[in-house]
Amino acid sequence: MEELLSKIAHCVEFGKVDKTAPYPPDMKGQEGADELTKQAIEQGIPAETILKEALVIGMDKVGVKFSEKKIFIPQMLMSAKAMNAAIEHLKPFFQSGEVKRKGKFIIATVQGDLHDIGKNLVKMSIEGAGWEVIDLGVDVKAEKVIASIEQNPGAIVGLSALLTTTMANMKNSVADIKAKYPESIVMVGGAPVSQGFCNEIGADFYAPDPQAAVAFLKAK
Amino acid sequence: MKGLEIIKKAFSLEEVDRVPWVPFVGCHGANITGVTAAEYLKSADLIFNGVSKSIEIYNPDGIPVVFDLQIEAEALGCQLAWSDDNPPAVISHMLSEGKSLSDLRIPTVHDGRIPVVIEATRKIRKAYPDIALYGLITGPYTLALHLLGTDIFLKMMEAPVEVHELLEFTKKVGLAMTKYYIDAGCDVIAVVDPMTSQIDPGSFEMFVHSPAKEIFDFIRSEEKLSSFFVCGHAQQNIEAMCATGPDNVSIDENIPLDFVRDIALKNKISFGGNLKLTVVLLMGTPDDARRDAMECIDLGGKKGFVLAPGCDLPGDTPIENIQAVSELVHDEYLQNVERAKEKSDIQLDLLNMKDYGRVNKVIVDIITLDSESCAPCQYMVEAVKRIAPYFEGIVEWHEHAIKKMEAVTFMSSLLVKNIPTICIDGKIAFVSKIPPQNELIAAIQKRINEKLKLIISSQKAEILILGISEQECQLAKDKVELAIKETGKEILVKTSTLQTDREKFGVLNTPSIVLTEHKIKAQGDVPSVDVIKEWLKEI
Repeated sequence: MEELLSKIAHCVEFGKVDKTAPYPPDMKGQEGADELTKQAIEQGIPAETILKEALVIGMDKVGVKFSEKKIFIPQMLMSAKAMNAAIEHLKPFFQSGEVKRKGKFIIATVQGDLHDIGKNLVKMSIEGAGWEVIDLGVDVKAEKVIASIEQNPGAIVGLSALLTTTMANMKNSVADIKAKYPESIVMVGGAPVSQGFCNEIGADFYAPDPQAAVAFLKAK
Repeated sequence: MKGLEIIKKAFSLEEVDRVPWVPFVGCHGANITGVTAAEYLKSADLIFNGVSKSIEIYNPDGIPVVFDLQIEAEALGCQLAWSDDNPPAVISHMLSEGKSLSDLRIPTVHDGRIPVVIEATRKIRKAYPDIALYGLITGPYTLALHLLGTDIFLKMMEAPVEVHELLEFTKKVGLAMTKYYIDAGCDVIAVVDPMTSQIDPGSFEMFVHSPAKEIFDFIRSEEKLSSFFVCGHAQQNIEAMCATGPDNVSIDENIPLDFVRDIALKNKISFGGNLKLTVVLLMGTPDDARRDAMECIDLGGKKGFVLAPGCDLPGDTPIENIQAVSELVHDEYLQNVERAKEKSDIQLDLLNMKDYGRVNKVIVDIITLDSESCAPCQYMVEAVKRIAPYFEGIVEWHEHAIKKMEAVTFMSSLLVKNIPTICIDGKIAFVSKIPPQNELIAAIQKRINEKLKLIISSQKAEILILGISEQECQLAKDKVELAIKETGKEILVKTSTLQTDREKFGVLNTPSIVLTEHKIKAQGDVPSVDVIKEWLKEI
C-alpha cells in the first residue's frame, strides 16, 4: 500500500497524468496518477488515505519547488493535471462525506481583471492540501464574494489581481468584505501585489505564491 | 544632452552626464487628457495629445507611442474586453476555439488598430524629432499565449512541436510590427514579453530564444535600437533574455535592479527599470517617488542605465509623483539633497534642541549641502556673511554642511527638511530661498528684541534682608522698597532675623542685603549637558 501511495505522490510531483502522457520524458510508457489511483481504490485503500498520504504529499513538494523557483507554471500545471486525474477517482467519496475537507476557501480574481492562471494555481494547490475550494471565477464583484461568504460561513477568502490598474478594485473589495464581515479572513495575491499593499488595504495575508497560501491555511 | 542622443549613449554603455528617463505612458496619457482608455487607444489624435502632454509635463528622453499588448492579437482576430481606465484584455483565444494556425495571416499595416498606432507614431515623430520614440510590440511568447490561451503551458510539455510552430508564427508577426514601427519613425523597438516570467530558463531557451533573437537581429540590421521588456518575477530568465541579443533589458520592481544590472553589464547590455508602480508612483507621495527614483539612479549608475517605471503607468498615477521623478532626474542638486535625506533617515539619535538658543547671543545656523559645491547653499551662506558685521558681537553664525554626519544629526534635530535652510536660534527662518539683506536683518533684529524681552521678563529676583531685630530690618526694607517702586521692578522682599540664615550667606555684620536672581533656563524637560554648559559660561 505504501509503495503505491508513494508512486501516486511521485506522479503528482512530476506531472505524470496517465500511461499515454508523453510528459515527463523519463516516465514515458509508465502508469500515471490516473491508473495508480484507480488501483489504490480497488485495493481498498481509503480515499482519505489516498488524499492525505499521496496527493497532499505530492502537491506539497510541488508547492515547495515552485516557491523555490525550481519549477514554473508549465510544470506546476502538469502536476495539477495529474492531481486532477487522481481526484476524479476520489470525488464520489468527497460527495458521500466519507472524506472530510479541512475547510472552505472562496477564491476569485477581482472585478475588472480577467486573469485566471494565478488564481487557478492557488486553487489547485489549496484543493490539493485538502480544502474545499469555491471558485467564483474572474472579474468578480465584491457583492458576489460577500454572497458566497453568506452561503459558506467561516470560509476564508482569496483575492487575485494581476494588473496594477485592478489593484484599486482589490482594495475596494477588501473594504466591502470587511465592512460586511469584519471577522472574515481575506488573503491577497497576484504579480503586482506586495506585502506593503496588503497592509495598506487591510487584507489579512499576502501570499507571494501558492505554497505560502497553503502554509497560511495550514496554520489556521 | 537629452532625448535620443542620451538614450543612444546609454544603450551603447557610454558614460552619461545624467541618467536618461523614459516614463512608460500608456493609458495614463488618456487620464491626463481627460478621455477614457478605450477612446484613447482607438484614436491617433488622442494618443498624440496624450503623448504630447506627457512630453510637456514629464520632460522625458524617450517615450512609448502606446503601451498596449493587445494590438496584434486583436488584428489577428482575438476579441478584446475594453475598459475605461485600463488597456483592453484579450478574452478569446482563437487557437483554443476551433481555429488553427493555418487560418491566421500576418496582419498588414491596415489591420485592426495598427493604422491608428502607426499614424500616431508618424505624428509624434514629426512633432518631436529629438525624442527617443519607442514602438512596443507584443513579444512572441505573450502573443502565443493570447492566441492559444493558457493551454500553451500544457502544450509546451505535451505537444512541443505545435508550440514551436506557433512561436514561429508570432515571431513573424513581431517582425512585421517591427517593420511598421520603424518605417513610421520609431528609434527603439521594445519587445514586451511579460508572460515569459512564468516559464523556466529551459523552456525559455527551447521556445523563446530563437524567435526573440531573430527579432533583435532584424532591429539591429535596420540600425535601430532594441529593448526586451519583462515584468513580474523573471529573475530566472534575465541571463537567457540577454542571450537573445537585445541592446537593453527592462524590468519591474519584482526584480532587484542591481541583480539585473550585474547580469546585463556582464553581457555588455544596457538595462532599465524599475520604479515601483503601485506602492510608490500610484499610491505614494512625491517624496516617496523621489526617494525611490534616487535609489534606482544610484543603483543603476551612469553607464548603461535608463530610468523607467517597471511597466505601464496606471492611468490615475498622480501627475505630481511622476513630475517629482522627472525633476530629480534633471537636477543634480536635488539628487544630492535626496541622498543626504536618506542618510538622515537612518540617524535616530537626535539631540534635545528644546533649549537651544537660550544663550545671550543670537545663533544663526545655515544648513547646507556644502557651500563649496552647491550654488544655492553658497549664496545663502554669503547672505549671512554679508550681514554679520552689523551684529558684530551679538550674532554668531555657523554653516552645517550635511556631508558630515554630525551636521545631518543637527539638521534632523532641528526638524529641517530642505536644503539650504537658515535657522535663527534653532528655529527655521528661511527655507530654500535666499533672503534679501533687509529681510535677513529684520529677522535677526526681531529675534534680538524678543530675546532681550525674554531676558528681562525671565529675570525674577528676591531680596533678603538680614538683621538682628525686626526693627533693624525694617529700616533697610523701607529703602529697598522705595528703590523698587521707583524703578518699577517686581521683586519680592523678605526679612529674616534667624541666625541660621545669616550663617548660610556668611554674613558678619547686620543689617545685610542679599540679592538673588532667578533665571528660567529650561522648562518641562531636561536639556542636554552641552546646552547646560553653555549657560554656565555666563556665570
